[in-house]
Amino acid sequence: MPARSAFTPSTLSRRDLPWQISWDIHNCTLCGRCTAVCPVNAIELGVFRKREISVSPFGNQERPDSSFSVYYGIRQRTDPGYACIGCNMCNMVCPNNAIEAVKSETTDMLRFHRDRGGQPRTRGGRRNSPESVLDQIKFIRISMLTDPALDAGRHEFELRTLMGRILPPAKAIKAQRENGWTPPVREIYPLLIGGMSFGALSPNMWEGLQMGVAYLNEELRMPVRMCTGEGGCPPRLLRSRFLKYVILQIASGYFGWDEIIHAIPEMKEDPCAVEIKYGQGAKPGDGGLLQWHKVNKLIAAIRGVPLGVSLPSPPTHQTKYSIEEAVAKMIQSMSMAWGFRVPVYPKISASSTSLAVLNNLTRNPYASGLAIDGEDGGTGAAYNVSMNHMGHPVASNIRDCYINLVKLGMQNELPLIAGGGTGKNGNLAANAAALIMLGASAVQIGKYIMQAAAGCLGTEGDRCNICNIGRCPKGITSQDPRLYRRLDPEKVAERVVDVFLGFDIELKKIVAPLGRSTSLPIGMSDALGISHQAAAQRLQIKYVV
Amino acid sequence: MSTIKTIRLKGKDESGRMSSRVLEERVQEAVRSGARKIEIQAFGQHGLGGRIFLTDNEKVVIDITGSPGQRVGAMGSPGTMIEIHGPASDDIGWLNAGAEIIVHGYATNGVCNAMAQGKVFIGGSIGSRGMTMTKFNPRLSLPELWVLGSAGDYFAEFMAGGVAVICGHEPQEPENILGYRPCVGMVGGSIFFRGPIKGYSQADAKLVPISDQDWEWLSENLRVFLGKIKMISLVEKLSVREDWQCITARNPMEKKGSKARSMSDFRREVWENELGKGGLIGDLSDLDRSPIPLITTGNLRRYVPVWEHRKYMAPCQASCPAGIPVQERWRLIREGKVDEAVDVALAFTPFPASICGYLCPHLCMQGCTKNTGNLNPVDITVLGKEGVSSKEPQMPPLDGTRVAVVGGGPAGISVAWQLRLMGHEAVIYDLEKVLGGKMITAIPEHRIPGRVLDAELERVRRVIPHVFLGQKLSGKEFEQLKSDFDYIVLATGAHKPKTISVPGSEKIIPALTFLKNARQGQQNVGRRVVIIGAGNVGCDVATEAHRLGAEEITLIDIQEPASFGKERQEAEKAGARFRYPCFTREITDEGVILTTQELIPADTVVISIGDAPDLDFLPEGIATDRGFVLVNEINQTSDPKIFAIGDIVRPGLLTDAIGAGRKTATAIDAMVRGKFPDQQTSWIKKYSIEYSETSERIDYSRMTLEYYDPRATEYNDLSGCASQCSSCGTCMDCGLCEAVCPTNAIERKSLEQGGFERIANPDKCIGCGFCGQCCPCGIWNLVENFPLD
Repeated sequence: MPARSAFTPSTLSRRDLPWQISWDIHNCTLCGRCTAVCPVNAIELGVFRKREISVSPFGNQERPDSSFSVYYGIRQRTDPGYACIGCNMCNMVCPNNAIEAVKSETTDMLRFHRDRGGQPRTRGGRRNSPESVLDQIKFIRISMLTDPALDAGRHEFELRTLMGRILPPAKAIKAQRENGWTPPVREIYPLLIGGMSFGALSPNMWEGLQMGVAYLNEELRMPVRMCTGEGGCPPRLLRSRFLKYVILQIASGYFGWDEIIHAIPEMKEDPCAVEIKYGQGAKPGDGGLLQWHKVNKLIAAIRGVPLGVSLPSPPTHQTKYSIEEAVAKMIQSMSMAWGFRVPVYPKISASSTSLAVLNNLTRNPYASGLAIDGEDGGTGAAYNVSMNHMGHPVASNIRDCYINLVKLGMQNELPLIAGGGTGKNGNLAANAAALIMLGASAVQIGKYIMQAAAGCLGTEGDRCNICNIGRCPKGITSQDPRLYRRLDPEKVAERVVDVFLGFDIELKKIVAPLGRSTSLPIGMSDALGISHQAAAQRLQIKYVV
Repeated sequence: MSTIKTIRLKGKDESGRMSSRVLEERVQEAVRSGARKIEIQAFGQHGLGGRIFLTDNEKVVIDITGSPGQRVGAMGSPGTMIEIHGPASDDIGWLNAGAEIIVHGYATNGVCNAMAQGKVFIGGSIGSRGMTMTKFNPRLSLPELWVLGSAGDYFAEFMAGGVAVICGHEPQEPENILGYRPCVGMVGGSIFFRGPIKGYSQADAKLVPISDQDWEWLSENLRVFLGKIKMISLVEKLSVREDWQCITARNPMEKKGSKARSMSDFRREVWENELGKGGLIGDLSDLDRSPIPLITTGNLRRYVPVWEHRKYMAPCQASCPAGIPVQERWRLIREGKVDEAVDVALAFTPFPASICGYLCPHLCMQGCTKNTGNLNPVDITVLGKEGVSSKEPQMPPLDGTRVAVVGGGPAGISVAWQLRLMGHEAVIYDLEKVLGGKMITAIPEHRIPGRVLDAELERVRRVIPHVFLGQKLSGKEFEQLKSDFDYIVLATGAHKPKTISVPGSEKIIPALTFLKNARQGQQNVGRRVVIIGAGNVGCDVATEAHRLGAEEITLIDIQEPASFGKERQEAEKAGARFRYPCFTREITDEGVILTTQELIPADTVVISIGDAPDLDFLPEGIATDRGFVLVNEINQTSDPKIFAIGDIVRPGLLTDAIGAGRKTATAIDAMVRGKFPDQQTSWIKKYSIEYSETSERIDYSRMTLEYYDPRATEYNDLSGCASQCSSCGTCMDCGLCEAVCPTNAIERKSLEQGGFERIANPDKCIGCGFCGQCCPCGIWNLVENFPLD
């Protein structure tokens, strides 16, 4: 601690911080790049005194002497407001590998002081818990000789899923005979990019994702879909044929919907679907807040709000007071907007009340599905406590919902879309396949695509996680051109394509040995095993040791 | 010819169908017995004609009629020639290692699967997965498959070697003679085909032109093939070179070259074509969104260093009630302008030596940045003491404004001094016989040498010739002053000692009285002195009492004593004891009795709990508050022509009184002129100092103190002291920032009007902030760049 600082209960030493800057005096060239790039100003040039005491062997004439010299180096700031976030951008720009942020192995003290002014920590990112039931699930049913096992590299696969309400055969035939209305259904790729708003994401990130999705559709014929999140949709996209690759989201803030309404008569294509957001995994039961400094000219234009104001999304939709009402009103209105040609489904955060929602949806002929975001969902700005402690794991929630649909005999009628923590440790295909076999018709990803397609530095070890303050070092969640221009939309799009192609191969490697090539193994839980007895029992899958 | 031993085998005898195992045994036995032609009437037996291993690849003919089972010629050897007089079942030529197989008819699935050598001739079409997994062994001849008709689905999957020839004669699917998805995973070999196809795995294989050499081989061997299957009549029809095409495997290098459209092409040709130029938001924003590196310059820097020279006030100046820009004085000394550095103080105080050198608790040093680094503050007393010999500046002519100053203490002298420097006439009236107020009457002589005070008062007298001493002002005279002068400044101080009402309080001597008497050598103290009130005045009393012979000196207070600094040190040196909390109950001849009944013996009891102003002479119209005159921010009383400063307003330090005088003079000057004076045009201009009276104090954290030696404790000469000043907020032109800047971006420019400035060249600067961190003076500030959107 520098002597000049006032000493308070929140005065921390470098050792008290979760991330510690390790700086190598021998290799540093003092080029200034690390301090220039640090997103949170956690490091600065340090001016240090060096004291030399020179003592000649006794008997010599010279008297012992003390002298000072000054040297320069990189110093880590210890003010909790400037604590290192571990992004290691310093290391990335260092020409000599002379600096890096290292995670402390002991419990940091900073966590006890992140409530300055009574304002507890908020952050973006993730739950910071590497544990994952999905990672533990194994695919134990390998067909080989019992069924014709397929070759992932050789067979032609049709890994598609259905988004929308699928009528049971009798009803479908009746509707066809009587020229009645049949609910809209889309055949799409089972891995979706979940709702991340234009505003939460930078324009370059958003465009990169959309461009990648368009490429997958138009060049590679993979019907991948992406949800807009709640932040409106650029008018050009609304009026383009690419709209069919887009799931429009409406949430409690209703941002950007006037632009969407204005665009309806000019749309070349219907959107893929409309997602009504009631909850998200990052902060179940809490609303959103786009900080004023992110609301620049562009965001204001797209969202239809004044410049430079903070934009709250309330935790609930304000004119709805029950599931029944929400289902009746919102789904009907949103279906009506496109003449009942577009699937409409709600998205909720996984909860012990999910079944109640689901049961309601089963009785609503216009409900096209249910998206459930588990506790590991992230990317949004949220209170630390909501991020870490609120929410229900997705695996058992999806399982409960699926089994409930089976009881009702409707498992093929109402698709479940699972999200939240899929691929949190990098095992995207395995996690997605597990969710599908537990009963999900499709899987949504958010953080994973940020990490994989844009180089997001966040990890489950509380690295970076500053998505909410507009200083994203990779330009993913910033509205500052000085940051988001670090991100090339084309490169993001290329990575999106790589991710989906790679995922596709891995998914095939999982489903081919099950003997599946043309229908997704939704609910094929006999293929799943786990070496945890309670989990096996809870998920109704095999206990394997 | 007829010498070849021939054996006939039937796959069925009287006991029924012979098992594959038995028929295989019979065939092997026949070969062992020397048979070189075996005629088999087959009944679905498996693997006929395979595994006939003879030395030197001796020829064996296997002639099959009836219905052979699967895998005819499986693991066939060189020399084995199998002829099937009819169609063949699955997997013919499976793992063939050299046999020649002729089928007079079609063959079902899996023809030649994993064949490595040998030739298979099919006089019809084949089923799915023909020629799959075939091998290439450079030591041996290539495997060949000849098909008169067409191939079924998944043809040539994982084909690694050999040649397949598909003649397309009377094909099963006339539009597609290679079936669905041929050549997936093909890595070697070539396929000659004649007829239409519906695609093949382009990732693995490619169409190539047929070379003359290839054609020569093909047409020659086509004749052989047709001969084998007894269709030689087709030779002409099938030998049209233009009808033939060839597919070969791509090598790994060719496979890498993806045919996919690049993302940048997609963006240009598809994305922007549909959305318009600028893509998704090209209509909403014309901001450049092209990629930039992590380290940027110019407008793309996130942070920009700003040279905030003299933007903030140095802490020393900010701490000084008289507002002396101490940092500028040290700068002048560093620049060798010692006289100027000493003399400039007169612009702020009439007592640069008496107060800055001796009597002030040195708030500038208390506020000095160096304290924050556990370093000694720059010693102002060295510079202050020099001021004794400063000559008064040349006075501007009088402008006719007249101000009466009531009270000739530090406050009154200060305001009069400043007014005169500004060109106004000031007349001082004082009750005492000497000018100087408490400075001269009450402060013990050990605190300041008499000659210093005398010299400075002498200088004051030269500047302010009109001083009327021994003047007691009545209400009537005050009214007269009001009409004679434009403004009146009240600076009469506080002289009514506060006391306590306890029995025997008449025995108490007020501190001021004690000090005055002491200075004049008229005070008896006795051996034991008790001082009630242990503030700084109390300490002065203690020190004086000690000087006058007291041996046992006790200062008591009801709370922790507020005394500090030199006064306290001197008192402690004099052996004074400090006691608290002590509440006095009574004063007797024995001494002070506390509420605890304790007696503190005393020959003399002095009280020093403060003094109150005597406001009796004030006219009605002037508002007071709890015994003090009420003033506003510029020390104006409720009568706008009357000002009040010093202890009459609130008790304070000498330097507070000096500061209040200066502030009031400035206010009067502004009222006279109708505006606040422009500092740069005032008389102070003749000194080369630059400072602001109004800017904010610089944040301590901005200065970097590591350049100072923490062991350097005392500097007694002026230049030594000046070298220890960090010049807070004012660039001292040391050039450190230029040396430290990693991109050599900092440039020093001389200004036309003199002086210099520094800027960070935006083309070079990366916004690292090094300049700000290294600067001892705290000049560079790293600020966020302007918003780009």
